[in-house]
Amino acid sequence: MREEQKRALEHFLAGRAGASAVRIDDVHLLSGGAIQENWSLTATMKGGRYDGILECVLRSDAPSGVAVSHGRAQEFALLQVAFRAGVTVPEPLWVGDASVFGREFFVMRRARGTASGHRLVKELNLGGDRELLVERLGEELARLHAIRPPVEGLDFLRAPTLSPALQGVKDFRNFLDGHRTAFPALEWGLRWLERHAPATPELVLTHRDFRTGNYLVDETGLTAVLDWEFAAWSDPLEDIGWFCARCWRFGRFEKEAGGMGSREALFRGYARVSGRPLTREAVFYWEVHAHVRWAVIALQQGERHVSGQEPSLELALTAHVVPELELEILNMTGGRHA
Amino acid sequence: MREPPEGAALLAIAREVLRKELLPLLPADKVYAALMVANAMGIAERQLQQGEGPQREEQKALAALLQTEGALESLNREFATRIRRGDFDGDDEARRLLWESTVQRVRESAPKALSAYRDRHGSSKMSSPREESTT
Repeated sequence: MREEQKRALEHFLAGRAGASAVRIDDVHLLSGGAIQENWSLTATMKGGRYDGILECVLRSDAPSGVAVSHGRAQEFALLQVAFRAGVTVPEPLWVGDASVFGREFFVMRRARGTASGHRLVKELNLGGDRELLVERLGEELARLHAIRPPVEGLDFLRAPTLSPALQGVKDFRNFLDGHRTAFPALEWGLRWLERHAPATPELVLTHRDFRTGNYLVDETGLTAVLDWEFAAWSDPLEDIGWFCARCWRFGRFEKEAGGMGSREALFRGYARVSGRPLTREAVFYWEVHAHVRWAVIALQQGERHVSGQEPSLELALTAHVVPELELEILNMTGGRHA
Repeated sequence: MREPPEGAALLAIAREVLRKELLPLLPADKVYAALMVANAMGIAERQLQQGEGPQREEQKALAALLQTEGALESLNREFATRIRRGDFDGDDEARRLLWESTVQRVRESAPKALSAYRDRHGSSKMSSPREESTT
């Protein structure tokens, strides 16, 4: 971070916190995030509501950000709504515009812990008792799903014109129509999704990227649910299916809840808070949807490399997860050749 | 004539040097990048090993199924369109072709993923032990 950006931020933090002086003691870029940049900030605040040491994270668009997800002011609004609903998220503090930092950004309190899915499935000391953790994650989702439209501050979220299930089919097909090559196995999956599409009785606020890798845990349990940029009004089971989908178990396929615990524990926590029991059958549809959606996202990420727009080995390799997703889609939808 | 060893063999030995000699010396924050490099080399190696044979077979099978001629890309587009229209709902031959061409692509892109399907599927069309050891 450049010195003048630091000075501007100190000024910004002082103004928002009502502090007489602010000094940024440490600032460093956190890893992860192809679309966003996350800076860890430690600041000494003199006076005001946050007098003392404030540990926070500044989240902004990366310089080469792509406009596929919500902007930072919108993500801030989502975080506020989730925070007020009692979902465990980093406390949202302030939102700032480009005049301060060169790009739109917001500041949230720093939550401790580890998010990496690969580490979480291997290091069993993280996250505390795994069944309890997964149950807790079910409770978190239920609290989020209690939020129904309309909500002040979330006017930028548009309701789907079709049911969420059919809207997904339509959006994925639109993408495939414009793509350089055809994907018959994805089309097979989409045809299945079309024929089995459930109605959604009531739209709720969904996270839409709620999976292992996107929440932080420490040694005792959950510390924060992260990455709210894809949130939307949708079917609550979309989040459950995304979390349980085989492709998000990080190789621990027998742990059906995110590679971390049992599906029963997740469902138990969800039902306790929402009063709504979940069934495997209803969630299954959204697990198929999850595989198709992840395949489409992987193709989009791969395309950023293939098109020459953003040469990146990581993006290039992301395109190569598509075949195994397609195989699982065929397996789930009766397309497996026995 | 090309000078042997050719591409696939060169990638195989280069990857072994990367994994066995270089990887242990890298600082922790560069390990992920090195693993990605090894993964990319593995995919390229398997594509070279497989050659164009499987693509030609896929094209022949698709042309037979769709009763039309054309390059693989346009046949695939046609197949996709007809699947979307529902022409192949419950069609065993279409299913077989889709499964096999997808297995072939997984064999190149992520052969380890095949083992989960082998037990339930029979081993004849699945990856060889050689592929299992190369990722």
